Amino acid sequence: MKYFYYALRSMWVTLINLLRKPTTDTGFPLNPRPRPERYRTSFALVHDEDKEEACIACAKCEMICPSQIITVTPGKKRESPATGKKRGYLDDFTLDLQACIFCELCVQVCPTDAILMTRSPHRPGFAREDLLLTMDRLYANEPHVTWGTASLLLEMQDPKRNLPTQEGE
Amino acid sequence: MSNLSENIELFMGNPWGRGVVLSIAIVTVVMTLIAWTIWFERKFAGRMQNRVGPTFVGPFGLLQPLADVIKMLRKELIIPRGADPFLFLLAPPLTLFFTLAGLAVVPFGPSIVVADLELGVLWALAFSGLLLFPIWIAGWASNNKYALLGGMRAVAQGVSYEVPMLLTALVPVIQCSSFNITEIVNYQIANGWVIYWPPGPGIFAAAIFFVASLAEANRIPFDIPEAESELIAGVGVEYTGILYGLLPLSEYLHTLISSALVAALFLGGWDGPFAPGMHWMILKTLTLFVGILWIRWSLLRFRSDQLLRICWYWLVPISMLTVCAAALSKYLLASGGSL
Amino acid sequence: MSIAMPSPFVADPYLDIDDYDSDADLMVLNLGPQHPSTHGVFRIKLILDGEIIIKAISYPGYLHRGVEKLCEKLNYAMITPIVDKNDYISPMINEQAINMAFESLMGVEVPRRGRWIRTILAEMQRVASHLIALGTFAMDLGGAIGGGASLFMYMFRDRELILDCFEELTGCRFHYNTHIAGGQRHDLPEGWSEKVKTALAQITQHLEDCKQLVVENPIFADRTKGVGVITQQLALELGLQGPIARASGVDMDLRRDAPYHCYDEVKVNVVTESSGDTWARFMVRLREAQESIRIATEMVDGVPVGPIFAGKVVKTAIAIKIKEGQSYVAVESPRGELGTYLIAGGPKGISPYRLKIRPPSLHAISAIPYILPGNNVSDAIAILGSLDPVMGEVDR
Repeated sequence: MKYFYYALRSMWVTLINLLRKPTTDTGFPLNPRPRPERYRTSFALVHDEDKEEACIACAKCEMICPSQIITVTPGKKRESPATGKKRGYLDDFTLDLQACIFCELCVQVCPTDAILMTRSPHRPGFAREDLLLTMDRLYANEPHVTWGTASLLLEMQDPKRNLPTQEGE
Repeated sequence: MSNLSENIELFMGNPWGRGVVLSIAIVTVVMTLIAWTIWFERKFAGRMQNRVGPTFVGPFGLLQPLADVIKMLRKELIIPRGADPFLFLLAPPLTLFFTLAGLAVVPFGPSIVVADLELGVLWALAFSGLLLFPIWIAGWASNNKYALLGGMRAVAQGVSYEVPMLLTALVPVIQCSSFNITEIVNYQIANGWVIYWPPGPGIFAAAIFFVASLAEANRIPFDIPEAESELIAGVGVEYTGILYGLLPLSEYLHTLISSALVAALFLGGWDGPFAPGMHWMILKTLTLFVGILWIRWSLLRFRSDQLLRICWYWLVPISMLTVCAAALSKYLLASGGSL
Repeated sequence: MSIAMPSPFVADPYLDIDDYDSDADLMVLNLGPQHPSTHGVFRIKLILDGEIIIKAISYPGYLHRGVEKLCEKLNYAMITPIVDKNDYISPMINEQAINMAFESLMGVEVPRRGRWIRTILAEMQRVASHLIALGTFAMDLGGAIGGGASLFMYMFRDRELILDCFEELTGCRFHYNTHIAGGQRHDLPEGWSEKVKTALAQITQHLEDCKQLVVENPIFADRTKGVGVITQQLALELGLQGPIARASGVDMDLRRDAPYHCYDEVKVNVVTESSGDTWARFMVRLREAQESIRIATEMVDGVPVGPIFAGKVVKTAIAIKIKEGQSYVAVESPRGELGTYLIAGGPKGISPYRLKIRPPSLHAISAIPYILPGNNVSDAIAILGSLDPVMGEVDR
């Protein structure tokens, strides 16, 4: 007898949930889901404020990537037309998104804030070549840049940030 | 023209003629209905779990069953090595055959029944009992230990739960003095539904018959034979494509027939407060069916020994008591209250 | 309701099959690597007499990825995103265990704000992990299509709320890489504590629903009470920890007994039960989830102001150098004690010499030959679900 009573109580819980608004009624994947600001899904290479390529081909991102997906081919060091100083330039840069684990370490170590993670575009591709981000695709992602640059990350991690205002360091 | 209408009347008057026409009609309608009950179940279950069911195929996902059937028809039929090919291929169509045979005596309206047998109740219960054979055959012929375990559990459960089912099905038979389902419904229309008149045995009998038919159809909470998390589809584990599709199809059909039987035997069939007719029968059947779906998505399953214990400890004695109570009340009513 | 078994049936994990009743018709059933309920790829060879299990032999190793060997050549900053795929259900705690080991050898103390944030993240991750454990356990009992699936969906819906909070903080819903040796990499955004409190309040409410749906149900009680009993002595002998041991009466919790992070500043109520069966394990996880919600809600209001990182900021791959030392650091993961044994001293000090991870699930599944025999196959599934192993950390 108690089986009937408790069965009815369980059925009551599912009935209540039947009448609630479903949480997945957004039409995904046709309607994209709103993502928070720090969401990281793709990459972009940017230009700095002198309209030059920010990347100096130091390959620190290549060295720190745990999945070894970045390949940096440095070009010849030459003088920059904007500042007049000698700096490195990129010859080729590929990032294989198939093996990326989205750890953001490449962003963290970049000394010139060149490589950033973006919030979009997040489209699955139909061929493996769609997931191999070449240099032109990375520069094409530049307008999608949102949050994470190396400087912002390093600022967050600064050991002297927001120290309580007492005497001492 | 009058020759044609006369011929039609003759044709429909003859039970064989009626049987052919109605069987084609009923089977077509019911099988289509079953396909869309699958859609309904998926939407219903989705809503109960705070999600939407299928939405992509057709508006509101209405063409989903069609997509499923087309997918299943196109799959390769694999017969595992070591399986007995004749028995392996025989079992799923045989389940469908037995289930559809049980559909023959279910009345959907005053004279809308494929075969108005004098022993209608017996026929329906016999075929739901015969359903165990194809499941057992499938379990053995698959050459798979999981299927074997599923088949054995199904047989144990089915055989045990037939006893309370038969005993409680006797209660409306005793009350209405007939095995013919149409006559039972007519008696209920005249004298009040079995479930509440005479008060007492009817409600218990209805509840036990409902529970026992859930167990016969291997629905949760009694679905140990096809416990998906343990036996991965039980006896159907080695079946592919449409052979597998026939197994849940016959399970849904069996559930629908059981709810129709409960509606006919205990709830008055096509009786209603106004305008008795086929629509009441269909309404009652579908309400019970939705209730069965609701139970499925809310409860956990019993273990096989607990299942059998419930049957033999509780359901069989109570169903025997209901039969005795029904016989006693019928005697009292018939003899006008004197003992 | 117990099944009739040849009595007295003392489960002997070292039973030789030939010594068993020679008239019996034994059947070998592989609860094989492909199975919906083995919580990952895990093979258990069951030797059945009818439907009763006589002997159970477990074969882990299907998910071995060579993580520990891989870590020997990775630099310290690169290890974190690889290791947090061990226990893939609670990645925050994996990261914390590893980074605490690094910090203990670097001699760096994480600032108070960093430690506070780590505590909050650990507690929220514990809730999320227990929600999965509860949901998959109900699914093992009740069917992937059926009543168990309803609870599973509800638990996942609640878990999404927590994962949304993590996504606001770090950018990833899973496998965050937000910890680094020395502190945290991401600081709290605006309005994060409000979001967390809303999420946790909703989850508290839904856990009450869960109780009504499953816990009060006599079907659940029949399936789980008295099934798979791990006595307190067996738990101590096998070295079990976490909810499994606490359900058997062993009152041990690293958060209270050996506090790390900021656990010495909050009160941690340790939940124990004494019966040691699957019901006790379920209830311990449920109550622990509620307890963690309480702790997280309490702590998220008072986050101290300050830096989140100490030491040299990681700007290159070889920033973190540890020349020598050995240390063992343990944290309380939702499955038990997750320990990291680190021997530093790889080439130039930029990678470890040996990194060994002590996974709690490996010790949990060592109980299988002891508690599975004597039960039905259905009970075996329920017991395995209640032990809640994560194959990623068992095999690494």
